[in-house]
Amino acid sequence: MKKIILSLAVVLISLVSMAQKPEYYQAMGESLGQYANCQSVADFQELGNKFQMIAAAEKSEWLPLYYHANCYIIMSFMEQDATKKDGYLDVAEKSVTSMLEMVPAESEAFTLKAFYLVGRLVVNPMERGQEYSGLSGQALGKALALDATNPRAQLLQLQMDMGSAQYTGQDPKSFCPKAKELLANWDNFKPKSPIHPNWGKDQAEGVVKGCE
Amino acid sequence: MPGANAYLHGTYDGTSSGEDGEFKFRTSKTGQQTLQVEFMGYEPFSLKVELKGDTIRLNVKLKEAFNELNAVTITAGTFEASDKKQAVTITPIDMVTTAGAVGDVYGALQSLPGTTVNGESGRLFVKGGDSEESQTYIDGSLVSVPYNSSAPNLATRGRFNPFMFKGTIFSTGGYSAEYGQALSSVLLLSTNDMPAEDQLDLSFLSVGVEVAGTKKWNSGAVTGTLAYNNLQPYMSLAPQNYDWVKAPESATGAVSVRQKTSKTGMFKFYSSFDNGSFTLSQQNLDAGGTLIDYKLDNGNQFMNASWNDKLGEKWAVSTAASFTNNTDDIQFEQTTVAEQIQGTHLKSVFSYPFSEKFILKFGGELFSKKFSQNVQMPNETHDNNFTNNTFAGFTEAQVYASNKFVTRIGGRVEYSDYLNSFTVSPRFSAAYKITDKSQFSAAYGWFYQNPVDDYLLYTDLLKPERADHYTFSFQSSVNSRTIRVELYRKDYKDLVKLTGGEFYLPTSYNNSGNGYANGLDLFWRDKKTIKNGDYWISYSYLDTKRDYRNFPEEAIPTFASKHNFSMVYKHWFGNLRSLAGANFRYSSPRVFNDPNSATFNGEKMLAYRSLDLSWSFLYRQHIIIYAAATNVLDFKNEFGQRYSNNPDTNGRFQGAAIQPGSNQFYVLGCFITLTRKGNANQLDKIE
Repeated sequence: MKKIILSLAVVLISLVSMAQKPEYYQAMGESLGQYANCQSVADFQELGNKFQMIAAAEKSEWLPLYYHANCYIIMSFMEQDATKKDGYLDVAEKSVTSMLEMVPAESEAFTLKAFYLVGRLVVNPMERGQEYSGLSGQALGKALALDATNPRAQLLQLQMDMGSAQYTGQDPKSFCPKAKELLANWDNFKPKSPIHPNWGKDQAEGVVKGCE
Repeated sequence: MPGANAYLHGTYDGTSSGEDGEFKFRTSKTGQQTLQVEFMGYEPFSLKVELKGDTIRLNVKLKEAFNELNAVTITAGTFEASDKKQAVTITPIDMVTTAGAVGDVYGALQSLPGTTVNGESGRLFVKGGDSEESQTYIDGSLVSVPYNSSAPNLATRGRFNPFMFKGTIFSTGGYSAEYGQALSSVLLLSTNDMPAEDQLDLSFLSVGVEVAGTKKWNSGAVTGTLAYNNLQPYMSLAPQNYDWVKAPESATGAVSVRQKTSKTGMFKFYSSFDNGSFTLSQQNLDAGGTLIDYKLDNGNQFMNASWNDKLGEKWAVSTAASFTNNTDDIQFEQTTVAEQIQGTHLKSVFSYPFSEKFILKFGGELFSKKFSQNVQMPNETHDNNFTNNTFAGFTEAQVYASNKFVTRIGGRVEYSDYLNSFTVSPRFSAAYKITDKSQFSAAYGWFYQNPVDDYLLYTDLLKPERADHYTFSFQSSVNSRTIRVELYRKDYKDLVKLTGGEFYLPTSYNNSGNGYANGLDLFWRDKKTIKNGDYWISYSYLDTKRDYRNFPEEAIPTFASKHNFSMVYKHWFGNLRSLAGANFRYSSPRVFNDPNSATFNGEKMLAYRSLDLSWSFLYRQHIIIYAAATNVLDFKNEFGQRYSNNPDTNGRFQGAAIQPGSNQFYVLGCFITLTRKGNANQLDKIE
């Protein structure tokens, strides 16, 4: 009963706020719809620009910052020129920092922070491996402590564990049961609103596929 | 400029610029609005526009933003090992994985250009400078006794575990006005910040064991370390060139505390003790080569504290203090020597950015040193000591004309109360980026340092010694390949000379010595060409002479060698989960003095050659197995001859070859890291 009331309350609150800021929700919804069409660094930059504009208009919302940073992290992964990657991550870092000031107890925000730190690590794994795997592990730990059911935090954790397994003589496939369980339960997690983070299922499917 | 973001601030109306840099968008807004145009790496542009429903045409030019991280940096004379975002020549990890260094900070630095390997010393000799001319700083404060105590003519190592440090700046000349009391080089080590989690590290080596535990809390952490080393078991297995009555044995302990004091502030404290001893049997050349025992007991306590923070929006402050208490008790035959050094260093630096492109730094420091020596011989006792306080103040301005051009102009004043001397040292350096990847850098300055302790014990009539540095360097980094070429000249002035009088008379010393060093340093590093491989090559050419100390005339000093070459290679074997390393070093023959010969420093010793190997294997996620060997090809290395103090009945000084402690050195070890989660490891120790 409690749960129903709670989720009802959440729906109500989001409905009320949606009603209050129709422009915001429309702009966010449209921009989120474009994620699927983004295929290049330039595409993500353009999308990032939209979120930046929204963030400038909605100073109290953390989601525009979340997606802005997310675009630049993805850009750093897509970029072929290694010397440009840190530049994108510098931009992402600013948004991650402002976002965490707004929502210091949001599991999704810490998950993104961990994702950003993985981006830094990937630029130079040899030299940054130790420091940044520790830092991103810390951020993920926080994300999971705030919400152990967050599927994106679990996915990232799994990917990191599997990634380091190959260096340490463990069989990455030993994580496969966990991956399958995560995918099976993916849809049990309900985002707080249509514009809250809801990505990752594809990647989880990819991980499970890699297991077969 | 494609991809720039153009929008009306505070609205949802905007667009990104296209391929040709053009943008257009429609808005239903009217009246006063702000057009914002932004692009990564450029200063944001904003313009108030009055919207009346018609089309507005604009030509927007963005100005490149100044970013200190991407801006040119002064590289003349400096090797920086840190993971800043620009291309770096060496990293902190390199410091600990260089074969042949066997975990010694100073050993690793000797694979860089500008250094000369002195196998009978182990200390740093930089660009024609003696080892005393180099200083080591940890978190901004001086380490008065950075090396372990060793027997005469036997190599020593640094006191500090290289894993303590996250970053290293090794400046071989032309350094900032912030650093004084060093004629040749400064080594700036910064300790690790907050650890990621609680952990327990266990190290088992063929020469000793170490346990380190780290406990972390929200805003701070504490690490305790205990280590015990004993070379007895190793020395009984591996052939040694000297007879050890008691092999080197040491017990060390350290506590380090890190505490965040605010969002931007960090306080660090480190305290260690180190007790070591050995007894070595050496030939007494004045008594026909009979063996005498040389016994040494060393005690060292070191404390270091630092605090860095921002005061308000702009001011940055960093304060550091260190204290060293080092005692050496030496016994040979009927003589005992007790020496004590008490060193204190206090330093504060303030910096204020007047703008992003103009940063002013200033500060003050105090070096206080008390040195006492007590010598007891059967019929006589000598007690000598001195206390010297050196006060210093410095200021420096760093000015960026653009992202491409930076100059640093500063000066330093020092006053020594014991010598009653006052010095002024101007410093100047600049760097210019020719392209994104290449730059020139130059540095000039005067450097002063108080004469060595052994002279100050007997005289206060001296003034500080001086070296002028001229450094010019070119560096280019493209695609994980780096080349560096550096030309330098050093002019030594006011070096201490012995006049030939009795050593204990203050008047037996003066500052009439001088010298020079000219050199060329080359460095090439390539992480790209060989897959999973990484190598660097260093070559140094050195032409130096000086007239100082007991030199009868200008001569090449014994620590200088003309050609120094080093090649380091590392390879990661993924399928074996192993990192293998090799290091080949060559030093052309150095000179030494034979008192039987009429020419001073006229003899040549053998060239130094050594091929060192290391291998690290990640056995389990938290267990690393490590093996290393030096001089695997068993080259014969010898560091000249030492001679008796007095001639024998035939009028000849008896000599004996100075050999390394052993021709080869092997070490086997196992590192284990335990954490709550059980998935951390000491990978950084090998990669």
